[in-house]
Amino acid sequence: MSEISVLPLPMRELAEFEEKGTILSWLSSCDHKQIGILYLLTAVFFFIVGGCEALFMRIQLAVPNNHFMKPETYDQLFTMHGTTMIFLVIVPSLLGLSMYLVPLMIGARDVAFPRLNALGFWLLLFGGLFLYTSIFFGNAPDMGWFSYAPLSEKPYSSLPGVDFWALGLFAIGIGTVASGINIIVTILTLRAPGMKMKRLPLFAWMTFVNSFLIVFALPALNAALAMLLIDRGLHARFFTPDAGGSPIMWQHFFWSFGHPEVYIMVLPAFGIISEVVPVFSRQPIFGYGFVAASTVAIALLSFAVWAHHMFAVGLGHSMDIFFALGSMLIAVPTGIKVFNWVFTMWHGAIRYTTAMKFATAFLIEFTIGGLSGVIFAVVPMDWQLTDTYVIVAHIHYVLFGGTMFALFAGTYYWWPKMTGRMLSERLGTWHFWTTVIGFNATFFVQHMLGFAGMTRRVWSYPDLPQWGLLNMISTAGAFVLAGSTVFLFWNMLWSKAHGKAAGSNPWEAWTLEWATSSPPPLYNFAQVPPVKGPRPLWDLHHPEQQDRYLNK
Amino acid sequence: MDSYPVFAPHSEYARSIASLSYGVLWTALGIFLLVAGLVTYATYKFKARPEEKTPKPVYGNTKLEIAYTLGFVLILGTISVFSIRAMEASDPPTAREADNLLIVAHQWWWEVRYPGLGIVTANEIHIPIHQDEQLGFRSADVIHDFWVPELGRKMDIIPGIENKSWIAADNAGTYFGACAEYCGQEHAWMRIRVVAQTPGAFAEWEKEQLAVPATPTEGEAGEGAKYFQELSCASCHTIRGTAAEARIGPDLTHVASRETLAAGRLDNTPANLAKWLLEPDLVKPGCHMPNLHLPRQQQDALVAYLETLR
Amino acid sequence: MTETLAAQGEDLLHDKTRLAILLFIASEAIFFACLIAAYVRYASASPLGPNAKSVLDPMKTGFYTACLLSSSITIYFAERAQRLRQAGVSRWLAGTMFLGAVFLYGEMQEYRKLLDENVTVSRNLFGSTYYTLTGFHALHVTVGLVLLGTMLVISLRRKMRKPQHSALTCISYYWHFVDAVWVAVFSVVYLWSTQ
Repeated sequence: MSEISVLPLPMRELAEFEEKGTILSWLSSCDHKQIGILYLLTAVFFFIVGGCEALFMRIQLAVPNNHFMKPETYDQLFTMHGTTMIFLVIVPSLLGLSMYLVPLMIGARDVAFPRLNALGFWLLLFGGLFLYTSIFFGNAPDMGWFSYAPLSEKPYSSLPGVDFWALGLFAIGIGTVASGINIIVTILTLRAPGMKMKRLPLFAWMTFVNSFLIVFALPALNAALAMLLIDRGLHARFFTPDAGGSPIMWQHFFWSFGHPEVYIMVLPAFGIISEVVPVFSRQPIFGYGFVAASTVAIALLSFAVWAHHMFAVGLGHSMDIFFALGSMLIAVPTGIKVFNWVFTMWHGAIRYTTAMKFATAFLIEFTIGGLSGVIFAVVPMDWQLTDTYVIVAHIHYVLFGGTMFALFAGTYYWWPKMTGRMLSERLGTWHFWTTVIGFNATFFVQHMLGFAGMTRRVWSYPDLPQWGLLNMISTAGAFVLAGSTVFLFWNMLWSKAHGKAAGSNPWEAWTLEWATSSPPPLYNFAQVPPVKGPRPLWDLHHPEQQDRYLNK
Repeated sequence: MDSYPVFAPHSEYARSIASLSYGVLWTALGIFLLVAGLVTYATYKFKARPEEKTPKPVYGNTKLEIAYTLGFVLILGTISVFSIRAMEASDPPTAREADNLLIVAHQWWWEVRYPGLGIVTANEIHIPIHQDEQLGFRSADVIHDFWVPELGRKMDIIPGIENKSWIAADNAGTYFGACAEYCGQEHAWMRIRVVAQTPGAFAEWEKEQLAVPATPTEGEAGEGAKYFQELSCASCHTIRGTAAEARIGPDLTHVASRETLAAGRLDNTPANLAKWLLEPDLVKPGCHMPNLHLPRQQQDALVAYLETLR
Repeated sequence: MTETLAAQGEDLLHDKTRLAILLFIASEAIFFACLIAAYVRYASASPLGPNAKSVLDPMKTGFYTACLLSSSITIYFAERAQRLRQAGVSRWLAGTMFLGAVFLYGEMQEYRKLLDENVTVSRNLFGSTYYTLTGFHALHVTVGLVLLGTMLVISLRRKMRKPQHSALTCISYYWHFVDAVWVAVFSVVYLWSTQ
């Protein structure tokens, strides 16, 4: 068995499987790798758009009483920034990475439903573009990315921005559910022989669990959007109080989606970290079982905590306490993971490639973000700090310092596999440090601004003590952060032109995607290595030290 | 610490939250230092050395994992207990018909009514020190939120629902707050000012607020009084003692006695009042006060009149 | 050639199409659960104006409900015939479609009557929630009829081949789901909220 080479010679002429590189072949592709890359390109495009939106906002907020822009412009910017970053950057990045990697990681040829895969992508792109055409029809949506009623209703938002937002998100939601179903079915039915569920790479496992979250959470959003559209278009009464409608019902529906959504945005990132840290520490993940089980715990609990976004609504202490306890509880499996990742590094032989640098920084940044989240589970503290810049700091620490840093780690880890070329470690180091400095400079001071009393979603603010200084620091940080992305894009261009050929397994990693060429051929694997444990290539190269013999 | 009002409590309600916050934040810091310490240590101690062979695999340590799981549960459980206690202290039960103040939130100003005293004012709230005030909230339009961090919790103001909360002030002084739920274009300038006064000063203020100012008939102010009724001002504003009784905009009976205009957007000076009358759409873009394109003479007269309304 | 339940269960985990349709049904179930929750929440608050008790006719709608539920039986026979390679698939499919169409006809009649009485989406919360809930359900029935029609055409042209993994099985799951949703809607709207 150990004589099987990882890259066997092709058995026959494979010219008919040659991939074409034309635009049309990309647009009509049903290949999971191409669709994955299309998702990632979409995410990069909207990342730049959403980032510019943020920069403009930070310019307006750099000094007190600023008049760089009008309030209605600012309101559109923050609404679009939130909506874009969540639905058009993070979701497609994670879906794209999942679609690219999951079939490879399980030794499959493609996903279960390749055409559905394409449909999911095009629906997402269409939804995003539709959302942005709102600019040409009056105004972009400006009621905030969670669109509270009755502000989002016709009397207060008479322009069609809200409708574009709702319809765009509707399309994105349907596409996302289709992709979630695809991933679940792929993992359940197309695993290579020997790959039991408990031998899944953790990225695949977390994507699997995540897909259940998608399937169960997105419909709640679509229901809420349907009711909002019917309110606005047909003068129904769901969320307007004049005929007994309840603005709070909107919040319940929205956050029933919205809370699982934040875990949808973070579980695959946990998956990335669970791949990167072990490989570059040269240690298997510490406590595979706990990490896998805690993922399920998070998924289940995520449906029971939504009203922690509503502690200031006045639901009553019993409701508040129920959701607070649930929120405290969900912090436990999340915290476990952080320790498991740290202890993976223990007794390792750590190589600090850029991917590992970002993964290590993730551990610190996500801990800060997670702790600030726990603070909000302390109801009286939420009563002071919700809707202030402490929330803005929290969300950016978990979504940028968390998910985005994990995505950067994943980029540096899997870029060689996807393109066949290595990224520059030198440029990567520049990218890393400017990102860390820019990110923390932008967002750490926002914790302080919240304690200083600054509420969120304000287009301008008075000259209260420290507010001007802290905001200026935050704006400066934002520009450094913007500049840091230049290193990333430059690195990508450099890699295309001068990057060293990667070979199939430049990192000496262990999961199946590294058992084929870089980039993989259209058919993924000429021959799938035997799978006897969670690290098939480790087992192959260390026959006396296979995981199943050592992992009692 | 006054730059950080969340840490500068001036009431029992705010204090119970602040003391809880210290404990929670120190705990969070401790956990952060632990994680950061472990990561830093691992970074240096386990860095790959050039000649190093592949280390022996370590798959986990179930006892350790159970230990830190239970550790988390214990810490979070303890915090929860203190949290629940502070909930009771900072947000005691309220009674239905017992509001000391009724605050109606509008886009983008605060209507302030004292049911027991018969006072109606706007944006600036006066309370006597050492007295628990039950606030009743209503919204005239969208969701707002009342937040004065030094005096108490924030509370959403939701149309169709009558939320209530408590504030009090230990010391005389001015306390700042703001609307804390995005409510549209000028959410940023829907600021709150609470003036806590000694009982004597509060009684003075009460008397002044209940008094009906005489309507001037002579001079520029007299002209202004006439313009106020003739132009569309009276269709939105109340000035007691005159025919103007509308409640669409703030009550202006004692507008000159307030410290700010336009819910904290401008300091209340004659020059600023003139600026506000001249171009409210530039001072507070999106606000519902229309720009009446007043000729200079009318503007001056109105300012003169409004300045008499102390 | 029946299969034991356990074998069918294990078989399911290898049958991607059936898995997919079941997951899709799960997501639609959440969607309808939200619409039903909205209906219940607002019905409990007793809105002013027309309500279920005053304008709905459970008996009449009960008849159309019986038609829809019978269509679950006819589609079961259609699917079974197809799975066991017996005759009668087209017949049972046509019967299912007929019963489904009768149901939709009944819905239309009901809507027409309500609109005549000025019970609209915007009239009050009963109108908003009733039309939204039943409207989305009717939409799903319509989609089901289109799917069934497609299967009927394929069946009539004698193009059905494989006994397993067939589209008809999955469509029948969808159709049963649509019926199950109606059971819930009927119970909540016509039985509970008319008290």
